[in-house]
Amino acid sequence: MAWRVGIAAVLVVSLVAGCDSLPGRPRESDRPISPSQVKSFARLYDENCAGCHGAHGRFGAAYELADATYQALVDDATLKRIISNGIAGTAMPAFAQTAGGYLTTAQIAILVDGMRQRWKTGRPLVDAPPYAGPDGDPGRGARTFAQSCAPCHGPKGEGGEKAPGSITDPSYLALVSDQSLRTLIIAGRSDLGHPDWRGYPPGQPLSAEQVADVVAWLAARRQHFQGAVYARNR
Amino acid sequence: MLVEAGAWLDHRLGVGASIREAARHPVPRSSASWWYVFGSCTFAVMVLQFITGMCLATVYAPTADRAWQSLLYLNYNQPLGWFIRALHGWGSNFMIALVCIHLAQVFLFGAYKYPRELTWTAGVVLLLCTLGMAFTGQVLRFDQDAYWGLGIAAAIAGRTPLIGGRVVKIILGGPIIAGDTLSRFFTLHVFVIPAVLIAFVVLHLFLVLKLGINEWPMPGRIVRRETYLAEYHKMVTEDGEPFFPYAAQKDLVAIGLVIAALVVTAAIMGPIGPNGEPDPAIIQTVPRPDFFFLWLFSAFALLPPWTETFLMLTGPVVAIALLFAIPFISGTGEKSFRRRPMSVVLLVMTFMTIGILIYLGTYSPWSPHMEAWSGTPTPVDYVRGRTPLELQGAILIQAKQCRNCHSLGGRGGMRGPALDDTATRLTPNQIVRQILEGGGNMPAYGKNLSPAEVNALVAFLETMHPGDEPPARSSINPAVAPSY
Repeated sequence: MAWRVGIAAVLVVSLVAGCDSLPGRPRESDRPISPSQVKSFARLYDENCAGCHGAHGRFGAAYELADATYQALVDDATLKRIISNGIAGTAMPAFAQTAGGYLTTAQIAILVDGMRQRWKTGRPLVDAPPYAGPDGDPGRGARTFAQSCAPCHGPKGEGGEKAPGSITDPSYLALVSDQSLRTLIIAGRSDLGHPDWRGYPPGQPLSAEQVADVVAWLAARRQHFQGAVYARNR
Repeated sequence: MLVEAGAWLDHRLGVGASIREAARHPVPRSSASWWYVFGSCTFAVMVLQFITGMCLATVYAPTADRAWQSLLYLNYNQPLGWFIRALHGWGSNFMIALVCIHLAQVFLFGAYKYPRELTWTAGVVLLLCTLGMAFTGQVLRFDQDAYWGLGIAAAIAGRTPLIGGRVVKIILGGPIIAGDTLSRFFTLHVFVIPAVLIAFVVLHLFLVLKLGINEWPMPGRIVRRETYLAEYHKMVTEDGEPFFPYAAQKDLVAIGLVIAALVVTAAIMGPIGPNGEPDPAIIQTVPRPDFFFLWLFSAFALLPPWTETFLMLTGPVVAIALLFAIPFISGTGEKSFRRRPMSVVLLVMTFMTIGILIYLGTYSPWSPHMEAWSGTPTPVDYVRGRTPLELQGAILIQAKQCRNCHSLGGRGGMRGPALDDTATRLTPNQIVRQILEGGGNMPAYGKNLSPAEVNALVAFLETMHPGDEPPARSSINPAVAPSY
């Protein structure tokens, strides 16, 4: 009889002593928090940005955020403005509560800081064209395009073997802003193999003026859609 | 010492003899079976629910502003509070499961037939009370699921013709879910339903004692009102055993096993909820009822809209009425399930239907996944090697929230077809038409998309044919003759 009581006592004591490590015990990290209280960059990024910009800022349909060149090119205020208010005329929506989104100012700051910490390597860009600049000249842009872009994108931007698909397609140009064209030309998309401003070809970096000119030339290819025109109707 | 105290009490109360008589009442030897333990197990879990419930009630604050906080306190601050919550939450699941098994067993063994009709009727009341406890308990776990679940229940009640508005006010204690609502559900969960439960358990057990435990059903042994009582009496006197200890020992072993399983489940799975704060301003939530009501959630979601109000209001009433009516429909005749094929089919179909509806309810393929557009990345294979316009299309699939209803690479909503092989089914023109005009459960997006956006979406979707499958071809284009 005594040994039964002993076994029962051992069981009870070990249960009570071990209950802190039982798998069912809720961890502090399981504590439910309201969406506006989420402070984790990983969670905020995964829930709001990953859909378009890719799981770790790479290989998304939209711009590569985990690109050190891009992160060096853009400043905090610009990132914050884009996340908060979106980019009119493109698919980038506004995320700030003040602009109809779900994120608080603090959460947008967490996103900006998190991207900087993870993806900005700290080296400033040398001789890079600035993020924004004055408008260029389409005529000069045509010459720069022929020299620097046409080898991959084709003489009229209709696409080539290395870069399939037209970049002067009116539908494409209608969906991207001049700034996103400029950002793409300067910072490139390393995940998809698009060079940055130093690589057209390597050794002959584009100047700020040349970048602005190419953007102006591309912008001049834009067409205004009159009513519903479905270009690929066949 | 204990014996003396017992004798002292019995000398004054004088109930010892009746308890001894009840414990030793003869039962058919055949019914001391492992199939007959589920009623006792349900009872044991109910007692455990009462005990854990009392413990929880000492901390729980049934007010709209503090209920959720007090649950968090139990989970994270009160030593072992989480374990009591886990026992109570899983105990509720266990109790419902045991009640259902008990019901199925009684139904299959014909134990509801003459003279045990009233035992069955009381049992149905107990089933309803158990479900009532589960629902009110889910409301007391005052989180987002509770809030919206209650909102849905009130909305269903509000569809009642003529008195709908009043019924909602009675349920919620006002026009909205607020502090009064919680007080009402606390009262129901802690006072009203338990009182009914105890009363009907007493009636149920009294009837079991009075009428005797059902004998093991034998094919061909027909229940007749004229002869059954005499036959049963003969059976227990000639081939009966005292309930205690002969039949009770199996009950006790089963109760021990069930409680051990419950303790282990609670220790491993932990407490159920609470999830997010019950704040109606937080719309980033996917409320879902607990599993025992998931089948209703699925059924209501899948009903054709024009039948909804009628079926929601009449269906449960008819189902409950049928349950009550079973012993009066087939109160005599064969007891054995071997001679009652339709009963077996009916039971299997009912459980299968409920099981499938519960399974569907766990992932509700009819609901859009509202987070997919911003939280589910485009599969990398659909990004590599795409043209600039196709990439814009891939962005728009996300940004226009197509993925909340359509999946890519197996992730996203399931309300519409997966987009991975769209191009094998639709020609580009058909894709344009489908996007602009909708149809087949899809809304028309013609007014929400610019022509450029449609072109980009179509360009991307045109690439959506797995490598070995050719894209769909318009029937007016001549087919390319195979070259031999």
